[in-house]
Amino acid sequence: MSLCQNRLQEERKQWRRDHPFGFVAKPKRAPQGGLDLKNWECAIPGKANTLWEGGLFKIDLIFPDEYPTKPPKCKFTPPLFHPNVYPSGTVCLSILNEEEGWRPAITIKQLLLGIQDLLDDPNPESPAQADAYNLFKKDRPAYERKVRIAVKENQPN
Amino acid sequence: MDSDDEFMSDVSSQDDFLGTQGSDDESLGEDFDDLDAGFSDDKDLIKHKKKPYEVEYKVLDPHDIDQEQLGQVNEVCAILGLPPESVAILLRFGRWNKEKLIESYMEHPEETLEEAGLGSNFEGTAKTEIVPGFMCDICCEDRDDLETYAMRCGHRYCVDCYRHYLGQKIKEEGEAARIQCPGDGCNRIVDSKSLDLLVTKELQGRYRELLTRTYVDDKENLKWCPAPNCQYAIDCGVKNRDLRRIVPTVRCFCKHEFCFGCSLSDHQPAPCTLVKMWLQKCEDDSETANWISANTKECTKCNSTIEKNGGCNHMTCRKCKYEFCWMCMGLWSEHGTSWYNCNRYEEKSGADARSAQAKSRSSLERYLHYYNRYANHEQSAKLDKDLYLKTEKKMTSLQSQSGLSWIEVQFLDTASQALQQCRQTLKWTYAFAFYLARNNLTEIFEDNQKDLEMAVESLSEMFEKPVADLAELKVDILDKTAYCNKRRVILLSDTAENLKNGEWSFNIDW
Repeated sequence: MSLCQNRLQEERKQWRRDHPFGFVAKPKRAPQGGLDLKNWECAIPGKANTLWEGGLFKIDLIFPDEYPTKPPKCKFTPPLFHPNVYPSGTVCLSILNEEEGWRPAITIKQLLLGIQDLLDDPNPESPAQADAYNLFKKDRPAYERKVRIAVKENQPN
Repeated sequence: MDSDDEFMSDVSSQDDFLGTQGSDDESLGEDFDDLDAGFSDDKDLIKHKKKPYEVEYKVLDPHDIDQEQLGQVNEVCAILGLPPESVAILLRFGRWNKEKLIESYMEHPEETLEEAGLGSNFEGTAKTEIVPGFMCDICCEDRDDLETYAMRCGHRYCVDCYRHYLGQKIKEEGEAARIQCPGDGCNRIVDSKSLDLLVTKELQGRYRELLTRTYVDDKENLKWCPAPNCQYAIDCGVKNRDLRRIVPTVRCFCKHEFCFGCSLSDHQPAPCTLVKMWLQKCEDDSETANWISANTKECTKCNSTIEKNGGCNHMTCRKCKYEFCWMCMGLWSEHGTSWYNCNRYEEKSGADARSAQAKSRSSLERYLHYYNRYANHEQSAKLDKDLYLKTEKKMTSLQSQSGLSWIEVQFLDTASQALQQCRQTLKWTYAFAFYLARNNLTEIFEDNQKDLEMAVESLSEMFEKPVADLAELKVDILDKTAYCNKRRVILLSDTAENLKNGEWSFNIDW
């Protein structure tokens, strides 16, 4: 079996054995039945005692054939109001960039925890959308209002 | 005349341009002594006393570059007492600035090592191991016979994953000097020893190639030859700040001549900054300016540029409503009753208008003067290249027609090369002259330019002659080739001398 499939299967095993509270991560169903290991549906809870508390944010992880040499693409569905999330929903984060911090040894668990940290600790050095970035820089109260709306829109079912 | 020329070409030619600016007076004296010995002694030119426009440089092949790197690594090894593969990483981290690196290492050894991605643990040799009960964090394989590897940071992965990772970095991303450990958040740089242990010969070769590349890119005194597929690099001591005073043309083993300062092909005698400005200007202006000059005039009152698009000479400026005659540029009303029939050249208003017009046009004309000559030589150099190809044919037919041997027809080849080189120089003299202020030096420069141009044209003419005559013209062509080269040397020497001493005055700031 290919390195990619092998590793993803193992990731799945590890996750089922143990994963951080409130998180969701599972491969999607393939159209012809069975699991599509290269396409995961995940969800990240907002951290307690932050603006993001109470939200559960759905995010898709799409793994390339070269995984784990190359990082997966992580995309919030629907796109999220956040300075480091592109209008398409794709997350901009150093550990997700193969030329920066991505290492083959980073697990899905580490990755999702990393994105959770990013929620309340945006990186103003690499803005990805204008709306959230501008408000974050110039009008913090308005930014926080918008975040609360985002939390309300992303409630656990 | 001859001795004069020789004098100009040789003034202070022994001078090293780097830093010996003050010694010109003495060397002037020495050169007077050379005068009588000078002119006919061509061997001197070949044996190369360095001319004022030439710079010291060395061409390096990939092997030389490797050796140079190795030498520096060994030198620093001896001083710091660290293993060579680690020193190489340190040096690359410090962009090959030995002194600074050694200093910072002596002051803060731990921090320096950490920052460079080394860590201070140098124990153990690089080898793969089988570790009982190990599972690779990348592929999650846990076979009992799994070969594993870890650098000194201790992040252990199976050899296959390590190999795969390194292959990806080297082949796909072209990374070599800064490949980090595959462990999350670990900044340890993969050293060459580990690399050699893990990857195939082919990848090792590529890895070294990439390292050499970064070495040349990092060093200020090294530059790759920009010719396609050329593998040589040039080592030259000319710094960026010297470029105002020197035009460092270098010649690679692949025969490509280029400027060490800006990597453009040879642009002597014009300095890099002026070349850049000139090219920019030509890109922006030349065609537009040509068209404006050919098709428009300016309104004598408000200076709007006007294109005459109909037949009548009675012009009314759209902007200021000034009425004038297109022919004599004078006031229309002064034409009296002889409208539409302009013969009033002597009229005062017309003459004034024409002189104002002339003034505003002269800067444009001036630019076009230089541009057209520049472009002409560029074009001619291209044609000469075609000519060169034809020359080869001529040389073969000359051999069969006149019974000359191969070596005896080489003069055509030499002549054609001289021609191209001189045209290249001439082309840039026009760009240079465009920025020169008018004074005596400029006039001398223009005389030199004129002499070279005449020499070039008269040599160029020779190539038009029928093949049958070439054998007879051989001596003539040889003479003309030598003369062209000589004129070029004189012009370049004169220009370079003045540039070095800051004698030129320019009509712009740069």
